[in-house]
Amino acid sequence: MNGITTALEFLPEILVLAGALLVLLLDVVGVRRLEAFGGVIVAAFGAALVAILADLSVAPFAGWSTLPAGSLDVGPVGGSLYAFTSFGLVFQGIFLSAALLVAVASLSRTSNEKGASVFYALLGIAALGMLLVAVSADLIFLLLSLEVTAISSYLLVGYTRRESRGLEAAMKFYIIGALSAALSFYGASLLYGAYGTTSLAVIGHSYPSGGLGPLAIVGYAFLFAGIGFEVTIVPFHAWAVDVYDGAPTDVSAFLAGGTKKVGLFAFFAVFLVPLLLIGGGAATASGSFRDSLQILIAVFAILTMTIGNVLALMQDNMKRMLAYSSISQAGYMLLGVAVATSAALTGATLQIFAHVLLKGGAFLVVAAAAGLGVGPMIADWKGFGHRRPVLGASFALMLLGLAGIPLTIGFVSKFILFAATVQAEGLFLWLAIAGLLNSALSVFYYARVLRTMYAESPEGALTPTEEVRGLAFDGLGLGRAVAIGAAVVAIVGFGVDPQPLVQVMQAAVQHFVTLGI
Amino acid sequence: MTLDPFTTAGLVGLSGALLGIGLFGIVTRRNFILLLVAIEIAINAAVLNFVYFAAFASNPSSGLNGQSAAIVVIGLAATEIAVGLAIVLALNRIRGSINVTEATALKL
Repeated sequence: MNGITTALEFLPEILVLAGALLVLLLDVVGVRRLEAFGGVIVAAFGAALVAILADLSVAPFAGWSTLPAGSLDVGPVGGSLYAFTSFGLVFQGIFLSAALLVAVASLSRTSNEKGASVFYALLGIAALGMLLVAVSADLIFLLLSLEVTAISSYLLVGYTRRESRGLEAAMKFYIIGALSAALSFYGASLLYGAYGTTSLAVIGHSYPSGGLGPLAIVGYAFLFAGIGFEVTIVPFHAWAVDVYDGAPTDVSAFLAGGTKKVGLFAFFAVFLVPLLLIGGGAATASGSFRDSLQILIAVFAILTMTIGNVLALMQDNMKRMLAYSSISQAGYMLLGVAVATSAALTGATLQIFAHVLLKGGAFLVVAAAAGLGVGPMIADWKGFGHRRPVLGASFALMLLGLAGIPLTIGFVSKFILFAATVQAEGLFLWLAIAGLLNSALSVFYYARVLRTMYAESPEGALTPTEEVRGLAFDGLGLGRAVAIGAAVVAIVGFGVDPQPLVQVMQAAVQHFVTLGI
Repeated sequence: MTLDPFTTAGLVGLSGALLGIGLFGIVTRRNFILLLVAIEIAINAAVLNFVYFAAFASNPSSGLNGQSAAIVVIGLAATEIAVGLAIVLALNRIRGSINVTEATALKL
């Protein structure tokens, strides 16, 4: 394989990196226009997304793929650090849609503060780390890519520098992130000690013969804690609320929609593949181990969704409510890992994509509302639905989608996920019931926001001019309007006709399950 | 040279102690700079593991895998600390203090 074909394999990653470097370069040569920085990053993300869709042979872009023929879904060759799988590519697409949504929305930032180029460059580098996580086939490569994303997101949270809350959130995020990195790398070093390699595929395939020794079990426990912090699994969740609350709201959208999903993919790659798909499936001796691991993950899933939901019920602050609901959504995604059938994994993948659109979109609406003078508390949203009909309806749609109301993508994903859980039978029936009860519980806090927005009239009567202005995305900025509009179109579009999306994801998951990475 | 269980237990015990010291520091230190030192210690526990498992590796390519991992993690630790120092500087500029417990603008 010569250099150019190798480079072409990494076309999406190269495009994103080039965008980030170009932004820094433009800043150095004296360009001071924010739109230029934002435009470069949006173009880079867009081009990379097209390249990924082409690799997946999605309708309009099929045939443009830059991957060498036959290199997709064959698994890592030899000791290769990376492998291109359609499952990884689907996740790359999900990550990039989150990054693109945030990049487009931040085009409407008008303040010309110093270091604005840094914001876009960091967004690009974080996206690069996310893309690399999805192609990694080696534990160290995976954790390193995860750190590329994490380190740039600490800086994104605190980039305003003069704002005390943002910096404090950055500090907390940094401490937790460093702790999680230390735990994950320690776990990886123990796995290396147990198996003499850091290749995920080799580690996975050595269970049927070698089984799990004490070193490997302790190593996996450390990895679970380290990655658990990233995914906000329940005993490791407390930081997320402070960070989402204190970060600039555009960045919160990126954290909830993007970086957390990267942690989930790492969770899939580290636990699902070796423990459930290869080890459990091949050897009957390790069957009981597989069962107990599934039950363990199921317990964490139920804990995560229940505690997230209960705490979300008690919040009066809009961003903190969304943050807790984000924690509970991570529980639903873990459900797919616990069940570990291809149908459940398809559901989990869909749920992850739905969450990018719904929660990312919701945070963007909160950012837009803050720009229009709406305060941080839920009570401040009183009458928002009357004052801003279009924006209010978009927000209502996103909350309903998070609750899982039909005709939104949130319903499709939850339906497939719970149906697969019920099909798995046995103990998983209880898991499905716990999930459904939690879904019902979550309706309460979403409904509370809707009631505040619509049932309660705004203070002071609306003047007609205000009413007319409220119909347009006026005062919102073009970027935010486009991003929120795109999220709404995707939520309803995939909610009404999920078939194309489900087909792509099903095929990818099928490859993933049969191949075992 | 191969690893017998007792040597392994001793080696992992040593790196585990290092990790424990680091984690203890992360939890108890109030000064952000000392907290960075604790983070460095915790990450170096993993480096130590990689180095000695590589030294006892059964074949050369496996040994190289561990050695390169050790170098990569050392690089990562340096990056992590550099970003931490940037956050300390910015915090100190607006608050005049690098005490972690004074960060109370966000309730936990």
